[in-house]
Amino acid sequence: MSRSGIRVLGAGLAAMAVVLSACSGGSSSASGGRQTLQLWFWGASPQQQKTMKEVLVDGFDKSQSKYDLKVTFNNAVDKNVQVALSANEGPDIVYGSGPAFSAAYAVQNKLADMTPYAKKYGWKDRILAPMYESGTVHGKLYSLPNSINNLGVFYNKKVLAELGVGVPATYAELTAAMDKAAKAGMYPSVTGNKGWKPVNQNYISMFLTHVAGGKTVYDALQGTTKWTDPKIVKAVDDSAAFYKKGYLGGKDYANLNFQESMQLLAQGKSPFFFGPTLAFQFASDSFNDAAGNTSDLGFAPFPNITPGLPSPSGTLGTTASLSVNAHSAHKDGAAEVIDYMMSDTFAQRMNKTWPGYWGVPLKNFDLDPASYTGLSKAYVQSVKDTVATVGKGNYGFFAGTFFPPATATAFTDIDGVWLGTESTTDFLDKIQTTFAAEKAKDLVPPVPEPAG
Amino acid sequence: MTATATLAPVRTDPTPAADHRARRAHQRRRSLVNHLLVAPALLLSVLVVVVPGVLTAMAAFTDWTGVGFHADYVGLRNFRDILADPVFATALGNNVTWLALFLTAPAAVGLLTAALLLHRRRTRTFYQVLFLMPYVLAPVVNAMVWLSIIYNPNGGVTGALHISSPLADVHGALYAAAAVDMWHYWGFLTVVYLGAMRQTPLEQVEAAVVDGAGTWQVFRHVHLPSIRPTLLLMGVMTVIFSFLAFDYVYLLTQGGPAHGSEVMGTYAYAFAFSAFQFGKAAAVGIIMSFFGLIASCVYTWMSRRQLAS
Repeated sequence: MSRSGIRVLGAGLAAMAVVLSACSGGSSSASGGRQTLQLWFWGASPQQQKTMKEVLVDGFDKSQSKYDLKVTFNNAVDKNVQVALSANEGPDIVYGSGPAFSAAYAVQNKLADMTPYAKKYGWKDRILAPMYESGTVHGKLYSLPNSINNLGVFYNKKVLAELGVGVPATYAELTAAMDKAAKAGMYPSVTGNKGWKPVNQNYISMFLTHVAGGKTVYDALQGTTKWTDPKIVKAVDDSAAFYKKGYLGGKDYANLNFQESMQLLAQGKSPFFFGPTLAFQFASDSFNDAAGNTSDLGFAPFPNITPGLPSPSGTLGTTASLSVNAHSAHKDGAAEVIDYMMSDTFAQRMNKTWPGYWGVPLKNFDLDPASYTGLSKAYVQSVKDTVATVGKGNYGFFAGTFFPPATATAFTDIDGVWLGTESTTDFLDKIQTTFAAEKAKDLVPPVPEPAG
Repeated sequence: MTATATLAPVRTDPTPAADHRARRAHQRRRSLVNHLLVAPALLLSVLVVVVPGVLTAMAAFTDWTGVGFHADYVGLRNFRDILADPVFATALGNNVTWLALFLTAPAAVGLLTAALLLHRRRTRTFYQVLFLMPYVLAPVVNAMVWLSIIYNPNGGVTGALHISSPLADVHGALYAAAAVDMWHYWGFLTVVYLGAMRQTPLEQVEAAVVDGAGTWQVFRHVHLPSIRPTLLLMGVMTVIFSFLAFDYVYLLTQGGPAHGSEVMGTYAYAFAFSAFQFGKAAAVGIIMSFFGLIASCVYTWMSRRQLAS
């Protein structure tokens, strides 16, 4: 295709953008002297939407007199945001799947540089350095995570007591407990990717952290180590062995989702659920005060598999990212909303009824677990522990947050290795090729260097 | 007597040239009106089908991310990458399997049910409504029903029978997803085939019966030839739909496990909305359209041949 061909494509896309923008209905409008700010969010449950309304919408609206915040809930939010941003439209506050996605939008000039707002609101001083850095591209801030996320082990205390085992502190203890559970006719652990294939990224990320180590993954993301490095090969092989032994959802990994897994955990059909701290929000339907089993649920770090790695360590991630639309007419207002969400007060109130999604990544996460009830108590404690772990530099990286998009998508295909349809070598060769192409395009988000 | 010369009324027949001009003017007016009448539909088609189609074709030769307007020309690289990817071969093979399944199982069941309903004059309306229900329900509802009631290992039919859900099997997932789609589709075929069978001239059926033909022979030699155009049309539509298969696979397996149920639709979707590789997604889209185009051409050719004969 010649240059003129590309121009025709550009012109065509621009024309499509005009059509799309005509259909979009606009993002902001004045109402009663106050400007409306738009935030598109995923399709949360009615109870969660109620919490958003009370804490975020009403709280923000009352905190100032210039703007009204409107939150729209839709399960296809990622796709909708992508299409809208392509047409230079969309919400004022851009909700995304994480810094890697924000970086892809930032290089296309779809997101506003938030560095001036960071200075104005002192975000760099308030937010955990790795979390803040993850949202920067070429030194400019384009996104902030709404919540820190960590991958670990959820366990049912009653089931562990039934099996006569304690909370596993080592990998050997963990596998021994799972073997015991399997012998007792239980699932060794419950989890699955039904309805959301990228769940696979959780488990390969976990093995990269606890087998290869955060530093090796960091080096691979810098391009100084290849993804075909023997340590990474071992992580992939170990994850496959783990899967083949039935340690990930038994035979039902493809037939379970997080919600169902938490139900099974509460019903005592398994001692463990491996997953991200955001799964606390799925747990609240099964572990609650009405059922009288809230205190049965515990959360612990996943033990290291390779000896000598820093311990305890976590697999660091974010639940989502918040950015300012480059084409918003109310960038200041959008930044004000994000600042409102990066506060202790907001975190305190959101976590009262919605555990799992609002571990605001503050350096001084000063929430007292004792002041919470239900699962919020355990969740707030898990966030405090994660913040302490991050402070020591003991972490690895969740693919969905820190890897560039095509590389993260390629890691989703790890189930090919688990099920024996693809060799580890072919899988990692593909990862290396995909990553090299994205690195050449500068799509790798900056990642903080872990301790080891 | 005076001779009066009466002039016979003169017929002012136009000259052939004037006649030709008038006819051409009339044709031009009619042509203009026809064009004006067809213009809205044409404009809509150009805007909604042709422009995006051309843009998609162009995007297939670029590295467009789907965000922004910048795209670099990459030649045939997207097609080379796709053809070298074993997942593409799996997806294409699965689409062909999907086609084979849909051309046989629902068509056979639909034909059989239609033939049976043909003789149930009083109750066939009720059965048609019943059989059509899955077709009018949203795919997401059908998928949820099957995921919860049939394929659920804890409380579903597979769980109660102590068998593994086929959705978790690399080799069974495609068939499990196809089963749900066929379950929703065969009722529609029944209604279409029944409607076509009812158009069979009654005298042909009666003549066959008088000649001693049994039920099977009447179906085989009278009804089946009569509904041949309908069978052909539905067959072509099935070919087109099979290469565009997406919704049930995405809702039930998302192409997994390990790409076991990947079809070209889900393969393209992952490029477009997960990996920000719209160029590759467009290339897959073009390959998908190619098969639909072949099916359309074959249908047009067969229809013309039928008209000619």
